[in-house]
Amino acid sequence: MDEKKLWEKTLSEIELQVSKPNFLTWFKNSRLIEKNTDTGHVVVGVGSNFAKEWIQSKYNKTIIEIIQNHEPSINRVEYIVLSSAEAEKKIFEQKQTREEQPSSQVGFIEFSADPETNLHPRYTFDSFVVGSSNELAFAAASAVTKEVGTKYNPLFVYGSTGLGKTHLIQAIGNEIVKNFKKRTRVKYVPSERFVNDVVWAIRTKRMDDIKNKYRNVDVLIIDDIQFIGGKERSEEEFFHTFNILYQNNKQIIISSDRAPAAIPTLEDRLRSRFEGGMIVDITYPDYEMKLAIIKNKVQEKKLQIQDDVTHLIATKIQRNVREIEGIINKLLFYKELKGSAIDIRVAEEIIQNTLQQNMININPTHLLKCVAQFFEIQTSDLTNKSRRKEIVIPRQIAMYLLRDMLGMSYPDIGDKMGKKDHTTAIHSFEKITQGIIKDKALNQKIVMLKEIIQKTPA
Amino acid sequence: MHCIILRNNLKEGISLVANAKKESAQLPALKNILIEAHDTALTLSATDLEIGVVHSLSAKVLLKGSCTVPFGVFQQIIQNAASERIELELKGSALHISTENYNAKIAATQKDEFPIIPNLSDDTPQQFSVDAGSCVHALQTTATACHTSEFRPELSGILLDIRDGFVYAVATDSFRLAKAIIPKKKLNISPSITASIIIPLRTAQEIIRIFPQESDVIQVLFDENQIVVKSKSTRLVSRLIEGKFPDYTMVIPKSFEAELTIQKNELIQALRLTSSLANRLNEVRIKIDDSMKNIQLLSSSHEFGESEYILSVKSKGSPLVISFNWRFLLDGLKQVPTETVFIGINSEQKPSILQAPDDEGFLYVLTSIKTA
Repeated sequence: MDEKKLWEKTLSEIELQVSKPNFLTWFKNSRLIEKNTDTGHVVVGVGSNFAKEWIQSKYNKTIIEIIQNHEPSINRVEYIVLSSAEAEKKIFEQKQTREEQPSSQVGFIEFSADPETNLHPRYTFDSFVVGSSNELAFAAASAVTKEVGTKYNPLFVYGSTGLGKTHLIQAIGNEIVKNFKKRTRVKYVPSERFVNDVVWAIRTKRMDDIKNKYRNVDVLIIDDIQFIGGKERSEEEFFHTFNILYQNNKQIIISSDRAPAAIPTLEDRLRSRFEGGMIVDITYPDYEMKLAIIKNKVQEKKLQIQDDVTHLIATKIQRNVREIEGIINKLLFYKELKGSAIDIRVAEEIIQNTLQQNMININPTHLLKCVAQFFEIQTSDLTNKSRRKEIVIPRQIAMYLLRDMLGMSYPDIGDKMGKKDHTTAIHSFEKITQGIIKDKALNQKIVMLKEIIQKTPA
Repeated sequence: MHCIILRNNLKEGISLVANAKKESAQLPALKNILIEAHDTALTLSATDLEIGVVHSLSAKVLLKGSCTVPFGVFQQIIQNAASERIELELKGSALHISTENYNAKIAATQKDEFPIIPNLSDDTPQQFSVDAGSCVHALQTTATACHTSEFRPELSGILLDIRDGFVYAVATDSFRLAKAIIPKKKLNISPSITASIIIPLRTAQEIIRIFPQESDVIQVLFDENQIVVKSKSTRLVSRLIEGKFPDYTMVIPKSFEAELTIQKNELIQALRLTSSLANRLNEVRIKIDDSMKNIQLLSSSHEFGESEYILSVKSKGSPLVISFNWRFLLDGLKQVPTETVFIGINSEQKPSILQAPDDEGFLYVLTSIKTA
């Protein structure tokens, strides 16, 4: 007789002997966990410590007698308190149905993630808007959730910031957890966290903890891998982790803001491994897709806005999807605060403010510093007269950015770049403007630089 | 059962176990109090199957025995009894309560139907002992940050994070977080114990209520699903919350854009005043001016108007403006033990902290309100 049947029979007999309230109080959520006919002992899980004490002292004899009627070899029952699976299930369901509080109170973002997997329940395939710019990435992602570890391994997703990489790779994790329940251990980690862990482990001499943490999983998801580049110990640790997981057919999913080949500081052995799997990219969304994203977000936040406002956001926000979310949050805040509906005028103002805000903190000195850092040269190199190729191009890019991002006049630019003639500035600007149309790599560099300049505080 | 007790001792004992009882249609025994007379002591027990409290008091025992009686009636009688000594005697199925000029007979039931309150043996490996006041203080200062809805059960209690010979009490509702350290010299714990247990908020509140009355050392024992806190005379047992508390160390900021040192009571006063004109988000703005010598507290409500309050501060860093929910800010301020408070502020997405200057015994992390 199997465990479940045996316990059902036992319970039905106990039910006859005790009052209904008593039965419900003490035997609710009980279950036979283990039966060993050789040693003659069974393990029964009960709902609480109180139930354990009670059953042990009042019903132990009865239970053994009943079980012996069915399984004569049993002579001992052990009771343990269940870490109630029921309760867990309830919690999970609650999490799913929980409505996002429409409030502008900032919370600890880290806490909304599941503490085991680190995945944020908000990121699902359902809420991921698929369009021409990401359909390949989405197809690969769904394939991975069906054949974990075998189909595309590793899966490398890259694309510019704010286009949904994190959403996609976390959605893979959530989907796998959903499909395979607890059997598959998924771990999501931003590479920055991985680096921190390695640093901590080196300092406290607990390298084994790290090894256990990252090697004992079935699916490892690493976000923003580009930050690991140049950090040798972390790279090495990751390399070994990667190998062990890969050899054991564990799924590895990686995201980055650029293709493996374009991460300059990444070690070759890692790069070649990334390139051995499936590489997919996510590019900028088109108008229709942006519209779909806005509608999605608006619905999610239970905000009501007119079609002309959606249209306005979709046209004004060029690339970054995260900015769309930012704008919607601000609209929401406005509505909450003022209690009035949002019309096109308000929306326009908010969008304008947001776009300007991004530019406000940038000054020419800061811009030059960022460019110099990016190309790993001195800021003074940009303003001197050297004609070395590795300096000339960054210098031209710097002048282009001064014009493009800050709208400075050509004489000003010349002045700022070490008393150069304004025609030099014009030449540089035009050269780069044409360059980015023809040269994809150059274009990517410019996009990245703009992001860096906007992000790093002056 | 037959015994004689001092009324005040009995009264105190009843109030200690009082909150653990429960009206239950399913298990009527839960609304009873269990009275047991041993050799030289009387024990009182009550439980609702989540918490159990057992208190023992000295008594002159003439005959050992036990019974349970309805809590409410028993409490009322003892509370109002005028005489100093009270005699309890079980005759058949009635408990006789008598003083010099009063006699009552109440229906008693046998101990059998009363739940057995679990215990952990003294050689449980996971245990520590601590000065009651320090333990209660740590729970008290953090309880305010607890999450009170049922959405996130793992946040609806106080985490005891035990490692390397330290015990940290931590609570959060994911908008703010409070962390208190139990002072090392008040604590006796083996450094090999590493554990994270979550005590339900109600249990914490009971511990706070029951144990400060005793100034001595309490013993805390636990396994994976229950905790026992006991002093010489009182023992509290509770279930623990299942689930994993998030890694709270991640949210504690290490650097700040501006650092302020302010007279705590002045700031509390300023907050109370400005908050009366705060908007529906409970928003109070703190503006550090360019001189870095003053801060302004600003509030404005569409309905009623606006206000500002100027405070002088000692500060470092750069001028900025930040909005907080004043209730969250006030909750934290009230728990800072010193007269001056250190505030480390970060703008927008990163959290800020409150603590006593140069003292990490208590730490309060709070997030801001996003402004358009």
